[in-house]
Amino acid sequence: MAKISSARQFKAILRKDLVMELRTREMLTSMGLYAVLVLVVYEIALSQAGSDFEILRIASGLLWLAIIFTSLLGLNRSLVHEKDQGCLEALLLSPIDRPVIYFAKAIGNLIFLAMVEVIVLPLFYFFFLSGKELGAPLWMLPLPLIVGSIGIAGVGTLLSTMSVNTTGKDFILAVLFIPVMFPLLYACVAATSAVLIGDPGYAVVYWKSLALGAGYDGIMILAAFGLYEFIIGA
Amino acid sequence: MWVLLVCGALLTLADFILAFFYAPLVEGAGVGGSQVIGGVLVGNQLLFSQKIFYFHVPVAISSFLVFFFTAYYGVRFLMTKDKRYDTRSRIATEVTLVFVLLTMFTGDLWTRFEWGVWWVWEPRLTTYFIMTLLVIAYFVLRSAVDDEERRATYAAVFGIIAFIDAPISFAITRLVPNELHPVVLRSGGGLTGVQLAAFLLGLFGMLMFAWVVYQTRLREEVIKERIEVIQEELEN
Repeated sequence: MAKISSARQFKAILRKDLVMELRTREMLTSMGLYAVLVLVVYEIALSQAGSDFEILRIASGLLWLAIIFTSLLGLNRSLVHEKDQGCLEALLLSPIDRPVIYFAKAIGNLIFLAMVEVIVLPLFYFFFLSGKELGAPLWMLPLPLIVGSIGIAGVGTLLSTMSVNTTGKDFILAVLFIPVMFPLLYACVAATSAVLIGDPGYAVVYWKSLALGAGYDGIMILAAFGLYEFIIGA
Repeated sequence: MWVLLVCGALLTLADFILAFFYAPLVEGAGVGGSQVIGGVLVGNQLLFSQKIFYFHVPVAISSFLVFFFTAYYGVRFLMTKDKRYDTRSRIATEVTLVFVLLTMFTGDLWTRFEWGVWWVWEPRLTTYFIMTLLVIAYFVLRSAVDDEERRATYAAVFGIIAFIDAPISFAITRLVPNELHPVVLRSGGGLTGVQLAAFLLGLFGMLMFAWVVYQTRLREEVIKERIEVIQEELEN
């Protein structure tokens, strides 16, 4: 029997996740709806802020808050499936390299997160930023989102694989995930703020924060990649 | 071990004596008369609070160093799957928790009396607060896993990931210059002779103290495990 290449194994796992999602649409509906609800809560929180309140100053923080909470929900879901139906055991029994499992799951999470962001970002603009003038060219906006999402998916996959085997899954994931993600979140909020507000010298802040975020991604994904084998085997 | 405990206690005591009776007040930290800082009226007599420095900084540095052992024994555990390393890693984190809480407490006294506020979201404080949360999360994670080997593995992995924040917190005053937290260990313009002596005494005293606490807890744990083994043998 010829050994199946890593690329094919990777594709098979990713395809399985995507097909399952396309059939049930469970993750996208729940994440998308949750994100919209978070936006509604923002509206309540800001309802008494008054007309001279400048939303652009805190808009990037609000946006990332919605993303982080939505991704928490999604990350939980992505492994609960595997666990409930015994898929994880089957995956581990099959002769697939552990790093391949990690990357396939992480890329799957990244795709779902990106899909949700594609829905949330225009909605966020529609609800809170319409008529406002952005301080920087629009093409600069997606870059922090990409850097942030890669980190969220990379670290989140590792941590959710841990939390799925604990009592009180969702809570544990939040407790582990939010402090660990802190530096990345900080960098992403800084970069997005720089674009939205466009204070003088924003480009320096923007690129510096992006570099910080990318550096964090690099270190954390390397660590997660190296440690995933232990987690999934335990 | 007892020698170390006595040495640590003596050094820390010497640190306190030096700090309170000999170390000169830092220049520039003085307020002329009364002044409003952070919306609170601050008077001259509060400058005495800078003595907290000689306790606060050694405790904080110790917390970073002890936290390193959490990650170190975590790596050792993952490599060997030897339960002893898990125990060591856990106890190192326990000691870290004690030192982290002491740091937060003394730091808060400082912010209250020197800066006039209870809390500032300043880079060092923020990253250190995150480290506190990570240390607490470590124990939350441990308590949520039933299977013993799985708990040890998860804790080791999380300890390693969490430790990545410690160097960030330690280096943040150098990376992001800030007026509130000066770089203490620098060449030129840092501490004067007596101040440095008091600081170093405190640092070594605290490190010895941390080591003793760690060793005592470890011994307790080892004895506990031995008792469990003996009990099981007796029951059979």
